[in-house]
Amino acid sequence: MAAVLANPIARRLLRIPPSYLVFLVLLATLWIARPNMLNLNIMGIFIRQIVPLGILVLGQLVVMRVKSIDLSGGGIILLINYFISSGSFPGASLPFFVALALATGLAIGLFNGFMIGNRRVSAVIVTLAVSIILVGLVQFLSSGNPPGDVPKLFNDLYNTKFLSVPTPVLFWILLTALVWLLLSRTVFGRYVASVGENAEAAHFSGVPVQRTVILAHTLAGLIASIAALVQTGSIAVGSVRVGLDLPILAVAATILGGVVFGRGDGGVWGPFFGALCFALLFVVMTVLGIDEPGKLIAQGVIILGAAIFYGVRVRTT
Amino acid sequence: MYRSLFNILSGRNTRQGLWGLPLLVALLISLWLTVQTREFATTENLFNLVAQAMPLIIAALGQLVVVLIGGLDLSVGSVISFTTAVLALGQPAILLIPAVFLLAAMIGLINGLAITRFNVHPIIATLSTQYIVLGITRILRPVSGGAVPGIVIDAVSGSLLGIPYPVFWGAVVILAAWKLLYGSRYGLHLFAIGGGIASGAESAARNFGVSDRRNIILAYVVCSCFAAVAGVFLAGRIVSGDPNVGLLFELDTVTAVALGGTQLSGGIGSLHGTVIGSLVMALLANGMNLANISPFVQTAIKGGILLAVVGLQSRKKMGL
Repeated sequence: MAAVLANPIARRLLRIPPSYLVFLVLLATLWIARPNMLNLNIMGIFIRQIVPLGILVLGQLVVMRVKSIDLSGGGIILLINYFISSGSFPGASLPFFVALALATGLAIGLFNGFMIGNRRVSAVIVTLAVSIILVGLVQFLSSGNPPGDVPKLFNDLYNTKFLSVPTPVLFWILLTALVWLLLSRTVFGRYVASVGENAEAAHFSGVPVQRTVILAHTLAGLIASIAALVQTGSIAVGSVRVGLDLPILAVAATILGGVVFGRGDGGVWGPFFGALCFALLFVVMTVLGIDEPGKLIAQGVIILGAAIFYGVRVRTT
Repeated sequence: MYRSLFNILSGRNTRQGLWGLPLLVALLISLWLTVQTREFATTENLFNLVAQAMPLIIAALGQLVVVLIGGLDLSVGSVISFTTAVLALGQPAILLIPAVFLLAAMIGLINGLAITRFNVHPIIATLSTQYIVLGITRILRPVSGGAVPGIVIDAVSGSLLGIPYPVFWGAVVILAAWKLLYGSRYGLHLFAIGGGIASGAESAARNFGVSDRRNIILAYVVCSCFAAVAGVFLAGRIVSGDPNVGLLFELDTVTAVALGGTQLSGGIGSLHGTVIGSLVMALLANGMNLANISPFVQTAIKGGILLAVVGLQSRKKMGL
């Protein structure tokens, strides 16, 4: 096996993020099983559903590039959903809610970043603990019951279309392009890449490692709050369960997209297709009649498979 | 004398980590509960407390083994739920009990192999097995129900000379863990490998002829088996299979281990610290229940404790 992996052509092929391949396989499966589903309208609806996941992936890939992880997205989404739907801010306008959401995400991201970058606490522990605290608080505040309704404007915005493509999807593509520019064209992007490759070497080359990690986490918190706004628009009601499985799906999509801790071979578009894979996966599983337990197993197998794929490759190079 | 006492309390210059302080905290909470409530300081409540803490102690001891080699096992909770679901399949106990441990060992083996042979990060590997095992558990038992073999129920619900059986089982498990960590070559190797990983010299133990791969795989197998013991124990107490009984257990075990002064970066930690940490968690739960605090807030408080305890540990590595 090692000989095969050492082959230059095989190595070149292994550089392609698994998400592209999985996407094609899923597309083919769907084409064989339900060819009539492959039209722009239906696919638009399915893809629109995973836009919150897709946005969350953008934050996840930035922190995973600096060898960290952010699992607090579920808590952030739940908290912002609670803010908007609980009626604690009667008569508040859309800009107010957007500002509130972004400030919340920024603050939580900054806290994560401080704990991880400055206090050097394990990122998994910090972000999981933050998520648990936020979920516990929201469930306590709403006494376990879903809070009220979301202002109608959110859902109306979510349902708009531009040239027959749903606006949320366009928004997602725009954000992805922005993050791509950030990582490939700015100093911060270079810092992220160098910290991920080798934090010690980066430190001795004058890269502010700690600041980069803190900034990456702050950015992830901010992006999670944007995902929360889109998610709230999509379900249009308050919920005490929404978005709790999104962070782990985001990790899966990011790994599938060829970004593993410290290595960013998949760029930004690999994880983008990783998120698209999950859109198709859920459709395919629903079509094949596989329900929730099967989806859990599929998530686990995908994460493990993609991680093994990269683990094997790292060892041989 | 004073110096060594100071060292123990501050956790300095020791391989056991900071465990004196949590003991103090445990004593303070007990004192407070004794003063505040009439029910706390009764033999019945104390035995009850130990029986309630037992699954956490057992699972945390498994987690400790993994943490000592610088890893983390997030599949503990799923393995516990899975164990109760398998036990409630309605087959004879003679089949089910070995099957439970065999399956748990297999899950641990998959974790260990993915981490050592395929270079997967421990958190990612155990996170994926957590999901896979949870999925299988939900297929076996979508909602709680089923019947657990009578022998399992009898083993945890009776008492001998006024002392409930769980206390004896706990003593057996703690003794086994003690033998494993402090009375065997394997325990020595665990500390050696973990100490190397914590100080950034992954190959240190290997250079002395200690096979790190095999020992790391074994650590995950041991952790899963301890989780299975905790699962059998819980199944006996709730008398049925429950796919959600182990929910968030992995974090409780990490909190208990960290509370007991064990460094999550590996190599430093102790069995008694972990037992004390688990007892503090149980005392807190007991106290919060007596104080009528909402279960949602209790979860949030547990998260806060985890954050505080781990935040106070210093380590060199940044990120994961």
